Formats: sequence, C-alpha cells, structure tokens
Amino acid sequence: MGIAEQLNTYLTLSGMLFAIGTFGFLARRNAISMLMSIELMLNAVNLAIVAFGAFVPNLQGDGAVIALLVMAVAAAEATVGLAIVIAIFRNRKTPLVDEYDAMRR
Amino acid sequence: MRAWIYLLAAAVAGGIVTTPAIFVLILLGGSFNDALVASLATLMLASGLAVVTMRDIIRCGLAMIVCFCALAGLYVTLGAAMVAAAQVIVYIGAISVLILFAIMLTQDKVGSNRLVFQTQAAPAAIAAIVVAVLVAVAVAGTNWGAVAAAVGTATRDLATLLFGSYVLAFEAVSVLLLAAVVGGVFLAKREKDVG
Repeated sequence: MGIAEQLNTYLTLSGMLFAIGTFGFLARRNAISMLMSIELMLNAVNLAIVAFGAFVPNLQGDGAVIALLVMAVAAAEATVGLAIVIAIFRNRKTPLVDEYDAMRR
Repeated sequence: MRAWIYLLAAAVAGGIVTTPAIFVLILLGGSFNDALVASLATLMLASGLAVVTMRDIIRCGLAMIVCFCALAGLYVTLGAAMVAAAQVIVYIGAISVLILFAIMLTQDKVGSNRLVFQTQAAPAAIAAIVVAVLVAVAVAGTNWGAVAAAVGTATRDLATLLFGSYVLAFEAVSVLLLAAVVGGVFLAKREKDVG
C-alpha cells in the first residue's frame, strides 16, 4: 500500500508541520513571525481535518466543510492579530515582542 | 557572481522537490501518486522550516506562500478540490498578502540585523520535537477505522452539507468575519487627537 493511500502519512505530516509552527511561535522575536507560525499551526490542523474527512467513512464530507469554516476563522484571526500588531508598533516603534515590557516594569 | 548564487539556489530547491519523488518511484516502487505526495510533503516541510528559521522576514512570508501552495496540492491529492481552491484564494490571495503588507508596515531598518530568536529557542526546539514525536506515536498506535483509499467530496455534496446541517456555523462564521473586519479597522485606525 503506497504512502498516498494511508491516513497515517497525512496525520504524521500534519503533526510535523504543527511542531514547526510551535517552535516558531515559541522561539521567534518578531510579532509577525509569531502570527505566521500560528498560521502554520492552523494549516497543520486543517490538513489533519481534511485527511480524516477523506479516509474515515463516518466523516465523509464533514471534513471539507469544517476545513472551510476553520479557514474563515483563521482569516478573522489574522485580521485582528495584524491590526493589534500594527497598533502596538505605532506606539512602541518596534515589532519585537521582548521589547513590549510596559506592563512588567 | 550573484546570478550563479541564484542558479545554485534554484538547483538546490529543485533537488529538494524532485529527490523524494525519484526515491519513492524507483527505490520504493511507489505509484505516481505516492511520488507526488512525497514531493509536496517535502516541499511543505522545507518551506515551513524556512518560515520559522530564516533571518529576513520578507523571505519568511514568501516561504509561507510556498508552504500554502504545497498544502493546496496535498488537498487535491486527498480529493478535496474545493478546499484546495479555498486554500489558494483565502490563504495565498488574502492572508499572505495581508501579512506581507503588515511586514512592510512594521519593520525598521536595523530589524533584520538583530537576533532572530528569543533566548528560549533551544527549549522551544526540544518542545517542538517532543510534540512531533508524541503525535507520530499517537497516530501509529491508534486504529482510526480508515478506509484504504482517499474518497473525494463532490462540490455539490459539500454545498448541501454547508447550507444544510452546517448552516448555523456558516452564519456564525460570517458574523464573526464581519466583527473581525470592523474590529481590525478600528484597531489599525490612527486616532486623530493622539496622533
């Protein structure tokens, strides 16, 4: 059985992409890099959902619909997140999150 | 001199994409579909790594577009053509462009010369590897009741579901998007009295 006909292939890929996004979110200093990492994680979850929809008979069709809804929510998240980053940048003049320290000084 | 560097980079990128396909086709005796999935998966993971590790954040954004393209290809191999189209339109067409605009609005000139990673980068890498290993172990050890081949979803069935049993979620998402757009405009708007 080839790798293209196994659910495990896609789920493992999804886990690896999610791990890459986790690393980016925890390690990057730039706020927009962190938002990009969140997009990677959302895409990883979407891949898992679409794979379940394609391979599990009970979820036939539901997977694609849920993936579309996740995309719409991700678009909303990106809009608000980037607006917040731009608003903070206007006040602090830096995109680096470790220099946003006004509330712990 | 610079042209040679770009040619070399293009050759390396082409090698990254074609090597797994050749490996699967010849050494493992897989089908053409397997080779396609192997290529797209390698491209997705390589560009995803580029997103989180590259120094120049504009290049990170462009690598993210490559990653989304590879994901759209994987959706097509899974038989979800509608999701692949939405991926191209929503992620590549809208979210990536939004992120690139935000990058250009928020970078200062010395930004790319400073440190890219926080001090906790090494623990973050360990945590990410642990997450990947845990997911792989859980995936391998679970019986999902999956069938042997991917079954695609016809666009007509998808529309019936979306406007049938999922219509409440659909309407809620549309209201959420409206609220997010209004909130985004309000947050990013320059206030007149503050400047």
